[in-house]
Amino acid sequence: MITLRPKTQARAALLSRQGSLGGTVATTGLVVVVGIAVMLLFGQQYAGSVIILAFTYAIVTAGMAVQIGFSQQIAFSQAVFMGLGAYGVALLNAHTGMSSLLAAPVVTVGSGLVALLLGSVVTRVSGLALAVATIMLPLLATGYVSSANYLGGSVGMPLTSNLWSGATPGATVVGDGIVTVAVLGIVVFAATRILSSDIGLELYVLGVDERTAAAMGVPTARRKLELFVLGSMFAGLGGAVYAGTQLFVPATLVSPTAELSLLMMLFVGGRRSILGAIVGALAIQYVSGASSWVSNNILVVEGVLITVVLLVDPEGLAGIAATLTARVRGRPAGRGVVADAVVAAEPGVPAEATAPAAGRQASDFGRTWADRAGGEDRPGAPLLECAGIDKDYGGLQVLDKVTLALPPRGIFGLCGPNGAGKSTLLGVIGGSISASGGQVLLGGADVTRMAPQQRFHLGVSRTFQAVHLIHGRSVLDNVAVSCLGAHRPGIAAGIVRSRLAEARGKAAEALDYLGMGGLSGQEVSGLTLESQRMVEFARAIAAKPRLLLLDEPTSGLSEPQRDRLKDVLRTVGEMTCVLLVEHDLTLVAQISQKIYVLATGGLVFEGTPDEFRQSEVVNSLLVGL
Amino acid sequence: MSVAYGHVVAVHDATFSIGEGEAVAIIGPNGNGKSSILMGIAGLVARRGDVRIFGTGAPPRNVMWTARHGLTLVPERRQLYPNLSAADNIILGCYSWTRSVHKARASDAYAFALDLFPDLRPHLRQAAGTLSGGQQQMVAIARGLAAAPRILAVDEPCLGLAEVVSKRVYEALARVHSAGTTLIVVEEVPRRALEICTRRVEVRNGIAA
Amino acid sequence: MKLGNLLIAGLVTGSIYAVFAVCVAVWYRVSNILNLAVGDFAMTGALGVDYLYRVRGWPLPLSIVGTLAVVAVFGYVYDQVVLRLAQDGRRRQEGIVITFFFTFALSFFIDGVAKILFGTDVHAAPALWNGNSLTVAGNLHIERAGVLVLGCAVVSGVMFALYIRYTLSGKAMEASGENNLGARIVGIDTRRYRRIIFVITAVLAAIFGIVESPITGFTYISGATISVTGFIAAAYGGFRSPGRALLAGLVIGIAEALLGGYVSAEYADTLLYAILAALVLARPRALGFESAIGA
Repeated sequence: MITLRPKTQARAALLSRQGSLGGTVATTGLVVVVGIAVMLLFGQQYAGSVIILAFTYAIVTAGMAVQIGFSQQIAFSQAVFMGLGAYGVALLNAHTGMSSLLAAPVVTVGSGLVALLLGSVVTRVSGLALAVATIMLPLLATGYVSSANYLGGSVGMPLTSNLWSGATPGATVVGDGIVTVAVLGIVVFAATRILSSDIGLELYVLGVDERTAAAMGVPTARRKLELFVLGSMFAGLGGAVYAGTQLFVPATLVSPTAELSLLMMLFVGGRRSILGAIVGALAIQYVSGASSWVSNNILVVEGVLITVVLLVDPEGLAGIAATLTARVRGRPAGRGVVADAVVAAEPGVPAEATAPAAGRQASDFGRTWADRAGGEDRPGAPLLECAGIDKDYGGLQVLDKVTLALPPRGIFGLCGPNGAGKSTLLGVIGGSISASGGQVLLGGADVTRMAPQQRFHLGVSRTFQAVHLIHGRSVLDNVAVSCLGAHRPGIAAGIVRSRLAEARGKAAEALDYLGMGGLSGQEVSGLTLESQRMVEFARAIAAKPRLLLLDEPTSGLSEPQRDRLKDVLRTVGEMTCVLLVEHDLTLVAQISQKIYVLATGGLVFEGTPDEFRQSEVVNSLLVGL
Repeated sequence: MSVAYGHVVAVHDATFSIGEGEAVAIIGPNGNGKSSILMGIAGLVARRGDVRIFGTGAPPRNVMWTARHGLTLVPERRQLYPNLSAADNIILGCYSWTRSVHKARASDAYAFALDLFPDLRPHLRQAAGTLSGGQQQMVAIARGLAAAPRILAVDEPCLGLAEVVSKRVYEALARVHSAGTTLIVVEEVPRRALEICTRRVEVRNGIAA
Repeated sequence: MKLGNLLIAGLVTGSIYAVFAVCVAVWYRVSNILNLAVGDFAMTGALGVDYLYRVRGWPLPLSIVGTLAVVAVFGYVYDQVVLRLAQDGRRRQEGIVITFFFTFALSFFIDGVAKILFGTDVHAAPALWNGNSLTVAGNLHIERAGVLVLGCAVVSGVMFALYIRYTLSGKAMEASGENNLGARIVGIDTRRYRRIIFVITAVLAAIFGIVESPITGFTYISGATISVTGFIAAAYGGFRSPGRALLAGLVIGIAEALLGGYVSAEYADTLLYAILAALVLARPRALGFESAIGA
């Protein structure tokens, strides 16, 4: 067996275990029990309010782990929403006498609504643009709050209502703490449920590559907005708890420094781990309060601490913990020679992949696929029509009046020199690139303006030149992404029920069909290139598409590997329509029933493989004779 | 020479020598260590064992040293500077022997590099990231040649390129060889490389023959 | 003339932003790291000179040289210790973590040290060019320090631009940031460039802190706001183009002055940020960002 990086294998195992409801309850239970124990033991002393503060921040960072950790999008918005929650509670308390405990859910919902408004504008952009747009938020908020008298100006607002009023001040602190821990427990439960559900899988893919996610049917725009709203609501809730336990809302709560501190807590703890985020918050708060020397020089200490932790592991303390657990469990066998690994580590693909076509057809998967394709046939009518497709990028004409029609079944090759526009054409058909002119018709319906997700649900599936699998998760989960079903529920549904098991079942069917069942539990980064491409291929066909777009599937594969893929393609071509972009002309000529050649954006040839071999145009263009 | 990535041994005690002026093809199935040998020689990845270039021992893992001592690598997937123009990409090849833009522009090596790929002429001012795959490969080779190397090592020159472009690339490499440069080519498709190479080193399962 | 004076004031603050933006942009170009500690280096420059000159009684030129030397050495050491481990080790770190967080942490550290050394009061380095504000073209006034600031900004901007466009070394520096592997292959010592540019941007920021501090006082936490503004201005230059970052900084400075003068002094900053945010959201691609698909 190829040796895997121990950490990723451990993670994958951890994730599949967490997938169950039991796992989630266990994690939540752990957090709550430990939290309550700490409160009861230390709550009466001064340390009590510091501990509560730590748990309060943990509420916010847990939400950030979901919002930022998986989406790779940094939005500098949490401090502002925390302030929204805190000031909200203070205002409700001051003007309506509402208790903090009651006000907390109210402001959480309010944060959600504000986040919905703000998020629908902000999540249109990603990456650095998102960071730049949102970095203004703390600055704007600080400016506003400092001048707003009703909010207490640059000092802050006091409160009189604790979350929990006890008989003695000590009891109040302990009570506050227990309520805080309970809220933290709710947040952990919700977040973990979501991440381990089918929606969590969508979020993982979204974090890996947005384009791939869209091509596999993930409603990317909606999910990004939902993540923003969710993270903001948790931040607002954290702010409410802050107000109700500290009894004072300082204006610095919304400052850039506060935002920075929150981000630090998240990254030190581990941005992709909810538990890690909590530990990060606790660790930093603990360090801040450890001694008076430390709290006076907190900036220096934090600076050094964060640098050191991140140098050791960019995934923070959670990453360090994962490495240690992997070491404790013992690494897999030492220096294995690649020889054995390469030859042996393609289980499932060689032998079973060349199983006779009859055997495949007979399987359920093959049958239902053939039925699906057959049932939607309009007899004699083409499945895919491209009519006069143009694409230009500000003056550079990449596609020029491309017109073609493909029937519901068969393999069709698309060849051409580099820069001819083949990948662009696939992009236009698949929906990730919008055409500048012309139409794309699928089964007679005009899909030219449809998003890739919608086309996916109509039966268009594709692979890309570069393999984009989710590292840290199993082959089964990677394939399951495309089996999630057409009607995607909102993110909150993930808390209630998870359709992951069903999706995994369908994924298993597809893997068995390809003879790759033996690989399903393996974590993807340990696989060879051929196996990874096959996993991507499995992902593309698991949804039983009507139209399969393949972008250079044999690139990087050796001769025997190409032969294997050829057999698989031949079988698949009997079930559905395959459009294959390829440089390996021999392979294309062997399996296609028709070949199209694109050069400088225009179709210069279409015909059978025999005509292809004899065509002068083709020979001078591609073979150079 | 051995190359290992973590626990996985990619190259196992490879031992061979290449004479000046030779053209050697390193062939073998994918994932068996061909690229790793080249990267180990060039100093891109850590290796064990000795590599001597023109008699001088090369420090492991120091690709800048090898570049300045006569061996220039044209890596897999080109590794160009996408926002710089094609011309700038090529002229940076001269960095290993000069710091002066004037000397670089006036040099024989630069002229030879440009001369080899007349197709690139109209695209010299274009940002390298916007060129097609074949054009990028030409720029990568030209950059390698601008360094006036005594040994040119090319890793998978035709990855992702159409047939006719691959032919042109190999024609260029043949010209480079006949001009006296020693060639080492890692190729997945033996036929093409063996047309211009005099020797072959087969790598299977990390062992060179 | 009110407009003219506002423009000049705007140009001066703008050039302060511009220089920091250039420092951020150039360094990002070379290393793909955002140096969010530029403001803190500026603060160190100003407070350091003040400390040496006022508290220790050193002559002014020596104070300046001394402070700059300390900044340079510190930058060098930071690169050798932290950045080398982060970027040059076995596991090269890329992505969010290194792009933001190491220099966040650095800025915390510098601020903390500054607090210990200089206390928490507001200080300013002494003016380098003493005297009243100059009068230009009739009614326009400009502070002498402002002239220095503008001059330094122009000089450093031009020098950088020339260096990058016309020298092989400048192109090599760019190449280091574009593709580290590709640069090493042609013999470019990317680590050295990164180190050099880090030290240069730190020292440049410190110089600017010294030069502009008569205009704005500094305290140990002033650095953060400057860094953020530098970051924003650099963002408008797409993070890669020093020229555009320079321009963006100037425009932002002028906009801020105009908003303050004509609309409202109190809410000038707030309005400015709101406009900037709206711009990024409305036209990300025009500003050089890649935006989400489907947009």
